[in-house]
Amino acid sequence: MEPDLRFGWTGTVGEVILGATRSEGGTRSRSYRIGGGTTLPFMEKEVTSPSPLIAFEICDDPQYWSPIVNDFCGELIHDPGAWAKTAEATYGADLVRLCLTSTKRRDFSEIPELGRTVETVLASTTLPLIIEGSNEPKIDSEVFQKCGETGQNERLLLGTAEAGRYRSIAAAALAYNHAIIAQSPIDINLAKQLNILLKEIGVQKDHIVIDPYTGALGYGFEYSYSAMERIRFSALKGDADLAMPMICAPSDSLTVKEVREAEGTDRNAIAVEWEFATSLAAAVAGAEIICVRHPDTVRRLKAAITGLKARTGV
Amino acid sequence: MERIYVIDVMLAKKNGNEQLKNKISSISREFVYEETAYHLPVSFALTGIAVHDQKSAADVFANTNNNPLVAAECLLAAATAAEGKEPAPYTGFISDTVIRKLGYSLVDGSILGLALIVGTPKSAGTAAAICRELQEKYMLTFLAGGVIPSLASAGVKLGLDYRLIPLGSKPLHSVHFVDIIARVAMMFGGVSPGDTHRLLTYAAERAKAIVVVFPGLSDEDVAFIDGMRVLGFPILSLDDYEGGDWIPSLPEEIVRTGMDMKGIRVTVTAIPIPMGCSPAFEGKSIRKEEMQVEFGGGRSPAFELLRMRNPGEIEDGKVTVIGPEIGSMKEGAAYPLGIIVEVTGRAMKKDYEPVLERRIHNFINYGEGSWHVAQRDLIWVRISKEAFAKGVKIEHLGKLLASKFRMDFPQLLDAVAVTLVTDEEKVLAGKTEADKIYRERDARIKGMRDFEVDTYYSCTLCQTFAPNHVCIITPERPALCGAISWLDGKIAYEMSPSGANQPVEKGALINAQNGEFEGVNRFVKKASHGEIERCSLYSVMEFPMTCCGCFEAIALMLPEVNGIMIVNREYKGMTPSGMTFSTLAGTIGGGAQTPGFAGISKNYILSDRFLQGEGGIERLVWMPSQLKEELKPRLVALLAARGHPDLFDKIADENTAPTIEDLTAFLARAGHPALAMKPLM
Repeated sequence: MEPDLRFGWTGTVGEVILGATRSEGGTRSRSYRIGGGTTLPFMEKEVTSPSPLIAFEICDDPQYWSPIVNDFCGELIHDPGAWAKTAEATYGADLVRLCLTSTKRRDFSEIPELGRTVETVLASTTLPLIIEGSNEPKIDSEVFQKCGETGQNERLLLGTAEAGRYRSIAAAALAYNHAIIAQSPIDINLAKQLNILLKEIGVQKDHIVIDPYTGALGYGFEYSYSAMERIRFSALKGDADLAMPMICAPSDSLTVKEVREAEGTDRNAIAVEWEFATSLAAAVAGAEIICVRHPDTVRRLKAAITGLKARTGV
Repeated sequence: MERIYVIDVMLAKKNGNEQLKNKISSISREFVYEETAYHLPVSFALTGIAVHDQKSAADVFANTNNNPLVAAECLLAAATAAEGKEPAPYTGFISDTVIRKLGYSLVDGSILGLALIVGTPKSAGTAAAICRELQEKYMLTFLAGGVIPSLASAGVKLGLDYRLIPLGSKPLHSVHFVDIIARVAMMFGGVSPGDTHRLLTYAAERAKAIVVVFPGLSDEDVAFIDGMRVLGFPILSLDDYEGGDWIPSLPEEIVRTGMDMKGIRVTVTAIPIPMGCSPAFEGKSIRKEEMQVEFGGGRSPAFELLRMRNPGEIEDGKVTVIGPEIGSMKEGAAYPLGIIVEVTGRAMKKDYEPVLERRIHNFINYGEGSWHVAQRDLIWVRISKEAFAKGVKIEHLGKLLASKFRMDFPQLLDAVAVTLVTDEEKVLAGKTEADKIYRERDARIKGMRDFEVDTYYSCTLCQTFAPNHVCIITPERPALCGAISWLDGKIAYEMSPSGANQPVEKGALINAQNGEFEGVNRFVKKASHGEIERCSLYSVMEFPMTCCGCFEAIALMLPEVNGIMIVNREYKGMTPSGMTFSTLAGTIGGGAQTPGFAGISKNYILSDRFLQGEGGIERLVWMPSQLKEELKPRLVALLAARGHPDLFDKIADENTAPTIEDLTAFLARAGHPALAMKPLM
């Protein structure tokens, strides 16, 4: 007898729209409607859980980036526009995630510069954009105001709201109609609480993407996996406060001991292997968006997801 | 010369409404605001109709039951179209782009609220002082009418950068204040045009806005400004107005009154004291040789007391020292001290007093050079020499407390005032008074019974590692970790309504002896994600509560002796069950329900509900000697009260009965009542 692959679930993962095309008032070549799943991913003959999207991460100050990725990408790392363009044209990413690492600098105050960077990236790629903003609570207000305003009409995904630090980003979502990432530290209850706080301040649930926080494989990913599984089960059982798509960023996997201590020519391959393995696990756990930093991981991941879909006959 | 007379608000309103009604019909031209998608925003938000000429204006006016704000908005738009926009510094109608930024700052919290000042102040200095106070309190202030030249003459700088926005030269321009709020409601509050009910709810509950009225308003002005009351804005007047629902105020109180009425609170971010203040210093003690002065600790009379007051009775942040300051105290000596914290808050309740009072301990220890132990009239406080050298005074303990209470309980407390008494006579008098209050509180909490309340509280804090664990906390059964009482759960819920402590309606009774309730079962099933169907609050044997891993002690049945034993976390040795605490903890933890085993707090042992399902505390046959000693004074009294004055000595420990065989023999010898009770299994 064939088991019920919907397990009697009645709920659906809510949908979030990312990016806006010209007809939708923006300038993107496509927009995505993520979420909408009614069961776990990669089920036999089930078509209701769509493939995860792959976001390629770039930054505006590479001194805070993985040296392995920096070596691999070469000169591009000093030109976010060109980097974003390459992510779309060459690496084959579905989304670009711009991390404003420059805000990590001590006493950072170049807010107008951030606006210019966002403009440049928007002009250089036609993919929908994720912007990972401020690294310093003191400048949250200005940074998200600037990002929100610059990306008005583009339906950005802005990151990252946390408990106790979500007001500015929520304000940007409300003022300029963007979606936001709500991150909690591998804890289903805190994830739910943050979503409720966001709801109370006025952010609609179709503007929220959950980031359950992604530990590196072998360094705590099993906790992330378990939290994701429970978040998804709750969603499918009908808990509206957890019925949002999930985003995973396994960037920790590029800094694990095995990658840091790898020698010479192996190092690049080992880094990709770690990022890929963690990303794939996140895809299996149900992530709708997976953010990676190494260009080779994009290719590996695409192939693997296609393979999984083919094996399951979807 | 300007005539000075008192305006009767009711009368003026009546006349003004008439005049507005007449003028609406005399609008003769079309009008439109540029740079907005919301037409005439107030009319659009209320009715969903885009007004641009006399006909649509009259329609909306009629549809809104002759709303004076609608009339004023239409008249101002028509006048602006006829006369053109006023020159700078006046802003006139503000574009959507700017509103988005303003709305952002409101949601973001960088602006706490909005104020409108309208009319012509009799003294420029008064208006300037009010504006300064609004600026200091992170309010964004809009100005209309004579107040603008008046402020300019006093040298006050105007503009968005200064959070003072000059809308226009006439009081009528204050309509823009309302059109801004209407647009914020539509942009940020999800209010759809025409949804009057949601608009009014949003304005009343979310828009933190107050209106300050100076003299010099015409009847029409009075009418439409009074119309703002339906949006829930308090209208506070200075001079010359009486009657109606306007609130006559004094210049030095007007801002505070308005902000209090709308519940606008300034959050404290920095504590103005000359020493560090952080939980990082909490564990640091001040030894005798490092100490400048000390208070209490048996060396001098001292006490602490937190009391709730009525709103308005205290001044937020006020710190008073009664008696000598630290400068006149001898180094190394002990002095009397009374710490009195007074609080007000809309959500504050008398029941919370003791719980908040306990925080005095943490907060004083947060100070880099201040130290605190014990509670109530047993406190012992020290200030270090180092802190004294940096200029720390007794007053600063008060500042620290006032700030920390406000920072940590922003939802609960509106105002905190602290009085520090060092005058011996007054300390003694205060202590007598405090003792009375302590006794009342004890009676209140001690007297609380499970059957007296309809609501228990849950705790799911531990679901982080025990995913299906649900603690149900009742007045007589604290959380199994011992850290959260029913009152704590209640307060935690008040302060964080979406947090880990939720109210649990106990619902219909299923089994009185085991303490099983329909509502509790329903809650536990949901909160355990469907894993746990039933939960008895007072039974170890049938559907006991789940265990996370934090329990202070474990109660488990020993079928061989028909009794229940308890082992506490501190006890490392073997128990008659053949298992140590840690083996047992590993077996029952993780959120599982294990009949025959229950995680409990130590205080629960002393509760009348303890082991009720199994026939009561008469079932208790064994516990480690250390725990027995710890509970002895209270347990002996409790057993005596229940008619078993000799039962304490019949309870075995690791010395009298290390194994189950020894225990069987010991209980038989002692004639323990459990042996004769109904079989456990």
